[in-house]
Amino acid sequence: MKLDLANPAWQQTLPPARSLATDAPVAACAFSRDGNTVAFALGDGQVRQMPADIKAPIPDATPALHSGVVMALIGDPVGDGFVSGGDDGRVLRVALDGTATELLVQKGKWVEHLAAHRNGAVAAGVGRTMFAIKDGEVREFGPHQSTVAGLDFSKDGGRVACAHYDGITVWSIGQVVLPPRRFAWRGSHVALKWSTDGKFIATGTQENDIHVWRVAQATDMRMQGYPAKVKSLSWTADARFLYTSSQPVFTAWPFAGKGPEGKPPLQFGDEGAGLMTVVAAHPTAEFVAGGYDSGELQLGDIKTKRSVVLKMADSSAITCLAWAPDGFRLAVGNDRGDLLVIDLRR
Amino acid sequence: MANPQSSAQVPVTVLTGYLGAGKTTLLNRILSEQHGKKYAVIVNEFGELGVDNDLVVNADEEVFEMNNGCICCTVRGDLIRIIEGLMKRKDKFDGILVETTGLADPGPVAQTFFTDDDVKARTRLDAIVTVIDAKHFFGQLEQGSEAEQQVAFADVILLNKTDLVSADELKKVEDKIRGINRYAHIFRTQKSQIELDAILDKGAFDLGRILEFEPDFLHSGHDHNHGDEVASLSISADRPVDPDKFQKWMGALLQIKGPDIFRSKGILAIDGAPRRYVYQGVHMMMDSDWGSPWKDGEARSSKLVFIGRNLDGDNLKRGFEDCLK
Ligand SMILES: [Zn+2]
Repeated sequence: MKLDLANPAWQQTLPPARSLATDAPVAACAFSRDGNTVAFALGDGQVRQMPADIKAPIPDATPALHSGVVMALIGDPVGDGFVSGGDDGRVLRVALDGTATELLVQKGKWVEHLAAHRNGAVAAGVGRTMFAIKDGEVREFGPHQSTVAGLDFSKDGGRVACAHYDGITVWSIGQVVLPPRRFAWRGSHVALKWSTDGKFIATGTQENDIHVWRVAQATDMRMQGYPAKVKSLSWTADARFLYTSSQPVFTAWPFAGKGPEGKPPLQFGDEGAGLMTVVAAHPTAEFVAGGYDSGELQLGDIKTKRSVVLKMADSSAITCLAWAPDGFRLAVGNDRGDLLVIDLRR
Repeated sequence: MANPQSSAQVPVTVLTGYLGAGKTTLLNRILSEQHGKKYAVIVNEFGELGVDNDLVVNADEEVFEMNNGCICCTVRGDLIRIIEGLMKRKDKFDGILVETTGLADPGPVAQTFFTDDDVKARTRLDAIVTVIDAKHFFGQLEQGSEAEQQVAFADVILLNKTDLVSADELKKVEDKIRGINRYAHIFRTQKSQIELDAILDKGAFDLGRILEFEPDFLHSGHDHNHGDEVASLSISADRPVDPDKFQKWMGALLQIKGPDIFRSKGILAIDGAPRRYVYQGVHMMMDSDWGSPWKDGEARSSKLVFIGRNLDGDNLKRGFEDCLK
């Protein structure tokens, strides 16, 4: 893996990319498990798929799968297609030919959050309930005190954490039924990410801060001082840093050693591009991608504190980012409906 | 003027009122009439609407208390989520209607539009419309504080089912409403029949339209308030306002009395400033901005309006007078 941010060519030219304009806001994007296909969740019900290879021909659009907005999209953990959730209350398994089979229907509800584990389990946040779907079996967890506003699997795939008002709930989803664990903190939690080493659960709150719990010890910490609510969180592959959105630069809290308490976050990157709306740590190396409300996209390197612009600002906020499993390609969606796949090999 | 983006922001109308007052009838009319506009509707009870529309969203009225621990600082987090979700649609719409349950406090709904930056960027709170059942209003006032609060928060009131009461009874109901909130527009209706432009796109929370919306705004009223009832009062002054003193006074007032003050708004003649200073608040949350310029030779007077519980008019008047030059 060589992404050379110090190379002048990286500073001066945008990397090769493929873009496709649609006319519906992009809510989410994801790569397939094998990394060969990328898909975008659109505000007109379409799951738009295309080859990850930016030179391969793009197939025609397939009919809309959901009746309203596709709100959530992930790579299928048991295949090379995708799993989507919509405001029509359906969770669909989407094949590469654009056909779909229904995994779950909750009429009148929105499927706003999906997560998957490589053991094949899918978790869906639907209203106040979390559904765990595995091997054709659907199990229900909840209801929580308010709508699930974020969810994620533990490292081993045996638990799912759900964010809601006044804290989070961790459910054991294995065959042995254990009581859920509650971690309390007042207010509305609007994003959740379990650390890649399984030790921490982080949430972003409506009131402009982030909250992190040590799962084993049930102790917690709060990091304040954001100018907006924090809706995007991303742990590095080695769990040494937690990246957070809602700052003008890359903002990483250090979790190695004694943790971030009493320390300032590491901040780097080019200021002046607006506020970061989405952040995505690289799946294997020490890079990070950040999309801004201005439409700008930056790639950062935490080791050298350098950053380069991958896409110029264009007044349409970036809404989603996804790295291919090999870390060479990056998918980007924005508020206006532009679908972008960037190839970082040069 | 108050917000350069206001034309791009989708107006949101909040519809409150007791169960059976006529909210659903009104919503059904708005959704079925030929007006060439498209509305998204956020309701608390699916299936009550007779109209099949994929822009009808069910909400559970999920209110959360903010971390400051204050009892009045409550927000509808579900509304933030739903508005963000609606904004992801390819199909756009001309307005959003939020129906609340019969016993809902309008505070958290209104405060949502003061709280969340994304909601503020994409939408604007247009007005709070309260539907009242003329026949059952007095009974509802006795059942709890909700009916009174819904009147207190209102910009527009549909005094509905007027055909079910005598002229005498109707006058009593209207007097009672005026006693609580003398600044709302009252329309007498039957079966929620009303011209839609009387209730939609009113700009009641638009700082630039405060003058336009309040017919009595610049005519100081004679206000008396007794006991713990909800009432409205206004204070005016002809001497210029000292901005620092005003800010201090208002800040302290809202800190202490915020839970009791449902709505507040004002136009201030700030000492030495060429423009009006306008503000608008719900409980402790407030938006403010510079308004239109004073014309040459125009009398520069200030006026504040409060709607709330336990308002001590004399004390408020003295407090404001201490802020004058
Ligand atoms: Zn408060």
